[in-house]
Amino acid sequence: MYKIVQDYYSKKNEHPASLALFRITFGGLMFFSFLRFWSKGWIETLYINPSYHFKYFGFEWVIDFGPYTYLLFVIGLIASFFVMIGYKYRAAIISFFLVFTYIELIDKTTYLNHYYLTSCLAFVLCFLPAGNYFSLDSYFSGQKGNRVPAWSVDVLKIFICIVYFYAGIAKINSDWLLEAQPLSLWLKSKYDLPLLGQNLMQYRVTHYLASWFGMLYDVCIPFFLLFSRTRHIAFVFVVIFHVLTRIFFPSIGMFPYIMISSAVIFFDTRVHLKLLSFIESTLVITTSFLGLKKKQLTTNIQAQTSQANQLIFFLLGCFLIIQLLFPFRYLMYPGELFWNEQGYRFSWRVMLVEKRGDITFKIKDSVSQRFFYVKNEDFLTPFQEKQMSFQPDFILEFAHHLGAYYKDEGHQNIQVFADSFVALNGRPSQRFIDPNFNLLNTEESFKNKEWILPLNDEIKGL
Amino acid sequence: MKRYRYLILFALMFIQCSTDDADEINLNLAEEEIFDNKDSSLASNNDSTLTEQEATPDSGNSNTTISFEHKEMLINWADNIILPSLTDLEFSLNQLNEKATLFVNTPSNDNLLVLRESWLNSFLKWQHVEMFDLGYAEEIYYKNRLNLYPTNIERIEDNISSLDYDLNQSYNFSSQGFNGLDYMLFGIGQDDDEIVSKYLAEDLNYDKYLIDLIDKMVELTLAVKNSWNDEFRESFINSIDNTSTSSINTIINDFVYYFEKGFRANKIGIAAGVFSNNVLPDRVEAYHGKIYSKLLVTEASYAIDNFFNGRYYNDNDSSGLSINAYLNFIENDQDEKLAEKINEQLDKIFAQLDQLDNDLSMQVVENNLSMLSTYDVIQANVVLLKVDMLQKLNINVDYADADGD
Repeated sequence: MYKIVQDYYSKKNEHPASLALFRITFGGLMFFSFLRFWSKGWIETLYINPSYHFKYFGFEWVIDFGPYTYLLFVIGLIASFFVMIGYKYRAAIISFFLVFTYIELIDKTTYLNHYYLTSCLAFVLCFLPAGNYFSLDSYFSGQKGNRVPAWSVDVLKIFICIVYFYAGIAKINSDWLLEAQPLSLWLKSKYDLPLLGQNLMQYRVTHYLASWFGMLYDVCIPFFLLFSRTRHIAFVFVVIFHVLTRIFFPSIGMFPYIMISSAVIFFDTRVHLKLLSFIESTLVITTSFLGLKKKQLTTNIQAQTSQANQLIFFLLGCFLIIQLLFPFRYLMYPGELFWNEQGYRFSWRVMLVEKRGDITFKIKDSVSQRFFYVKNEDFLTPFQEKQMSFQPDFILEFAHHLGAYYKDEGHQNIQVFADSFVALNGRPSQRFIDPNFNLLNTEESFKNKEWILPLNDEIKGL
Repeated sequence: MKRYRYLILFALMFIQCSTDDADEINLNLAEEEIFDNKDSSLASNNDSTLTEQEATPDSGNSNTTISFEHKEMLINWADNIILPSLTDLEFSLNQLNEKATLFVNTPSNDNLLVLRESWLNSFLKWQHVEMFDLGYAEEIYYKNRLNLYPTNIERIEDNISSLDYDLNQSYNFSSQGFNGLDYMLFGIGQDDDEIVSKYLAEDLNYDKYLIDLIDKMVELTLAVKNSWNDEFRESFINSIDNTSTSSINTIINDFVYYFEKGFRANKIGIAAGVFSNNVLPDRVEAYHGKIYSKLLVTEASYAIDNFFNGRYYNDNDSSGLSINAYLNFIENDQDEKLAEKINEQLDKIFAQLDQLDNDLSMQVVENNLSMLSTYDVIQANVVLLKVDMLQKLNINVDYADADGD
């Protein structure tokens, strides 16, 4: 066993084209994502305008910088552009990772699986030799690229496989497969789709087919991408699947494009080289137009492999093991995961549940017994209020914020109670938080939140 | 080429699925939904509907309904509810204008009573209009200009004594509209004699301000009504998508928002001290008129009920496609209907309101508990509308724009 790992680690290597192409598409997509985010005005509405931000446990120190938050995005834009062109690659990808992750940590209201995916990919890329081939770095240094260790490409493939596979097994539950929920709710409301909206989208059988297809797709696609004989058809399915999700759910933003471009890594070097020489040919036209000296970018590469680093190999191995284990942390909590969301995030549970909530907080004086209700909109944006209404850690955090606020206002003997109702996957709404539990009596932690009332139903499955 | 083969194959698969199912079922559902509506009297009035119903014995609660006429619902809202209520309000405001002119020309206790009656009449009709805060109405802050309370008495008195005011300025929104009139007709004197005397003294300018307020209300209402008569109705009934700016989403969001803020909070909650440490008796609607606050809430609850169930404004016995019908269409395969639960909860609200004193400012002082339990009964329906209903209809409650996954 040790021998196999040893051989794999030190002997197997690959052409650097795969990593170079991945770097270019990733950097390019991220550059575009930053521009898109900016142009939609979300820096303002999501990070600068809100007077209050919901924090990840342990990251309360991450703050926005008011109007200077724009600077973070400027750095992100520059860094992602440098990643794409491979200029000062190492510094660029590390800055990108830090800036992007920092922005995500400002407010957990904006949590999305694909933002987490982006952070993970950027983290891995910090350690990979993706910048010394087909890059400005190699152009300027004049050095030929080295072959890269096979594991530096494989780590990306395995990670993407985990994302798909875990997204797939998360769908193996009774709501998804037996009730076709929440797809049934979502597809019915697509009555406005041309041609299909008033018929296909309304059929029960469509909802079931879509649910089962979605699950099978996620579970199987990693394997079909890994085997060379099924790879081409698998990639066609990747494109179709993600384009369909983009059509049906326009709000998922950049996610389809990230997944499609990431899946290209599964192809072998010849395909990557072909794509790179296509990029090069367009570049040549531009550079000759600009009067620059032509220089072959896809030159032959040196025979030797770039210096392998045991520490990095070990670190990325640990990263993958954590990725494998972390999504199962929910097993340590009692109750229904979709309901209490303890261990829900960072687990590739994508487009999995439909949840709505309504919550009002009661501020009570424990001595005089007088109380009043808070208007959430005095503190939160509609988006924050919506996200809070069905996520217990948000609710607890906001309760403490209210407690502190009213204490400053001169109130005494403050207790904070939640009057809260949530509906999950089309079930009737039911009370969510114990209305008699003073939320100031507990602090955020990884312990089970006993004040969440159990779901009056059972969802079987993973 | 090899790749395209799969694409075509996949596309064919999809088309195949759709044609298979389409042949199975083909019903006209719009009329079926109307028939299902328990409040509808169409069935008895309309023989053709009846025959169709008999021809398809399998309808009713079975899951054969496969499409819903969204446009027809929008037409029902526009032509049978929104436009008629605006037209009626405008008519009634013109009458109010006449009565006001009569009163300022010959101020007397009798004319004051006539004027008040006309004011109440218009105010009741307003309750059917307030929730439709969209299009031109939203643009000009129509609902804030006609029904913002509590009234800013100091500003009204300043405006009257200085005669230097612009009712179009937002700081004057709380010194005009129905509650501005409430003060002008009930609040400027201890009793009717004193009030009339203020209008008799022409140099005090109360008469001018009164007429100005009513003129403004007529002007705004006419403008909103005309916007519906012009191009807005067309764009409204043709915007049938499910997007954050489409008619259905806008109006249902308006409806839920109105139910939660305009109805629950403004008319009941705030005065009952739900959002403060103490009761706030002066925050009720038509505070100076005393005995009308409950009447106005009750009328608003009828307006809510009528809209939810798609009843015609001019003929409550007739109805068309509505949220009720839409929900029943979405839930056609379920036994427990959300629309029924919402209607049951509305009935509980009527019953609760019935027990309150005519003067809600008196109610909160003397027995706030029943006011609070009224609030709770309304809040229970906020949950049904905002959580359950919006989930079933898959309509976003906020306009916050961000990606999701």
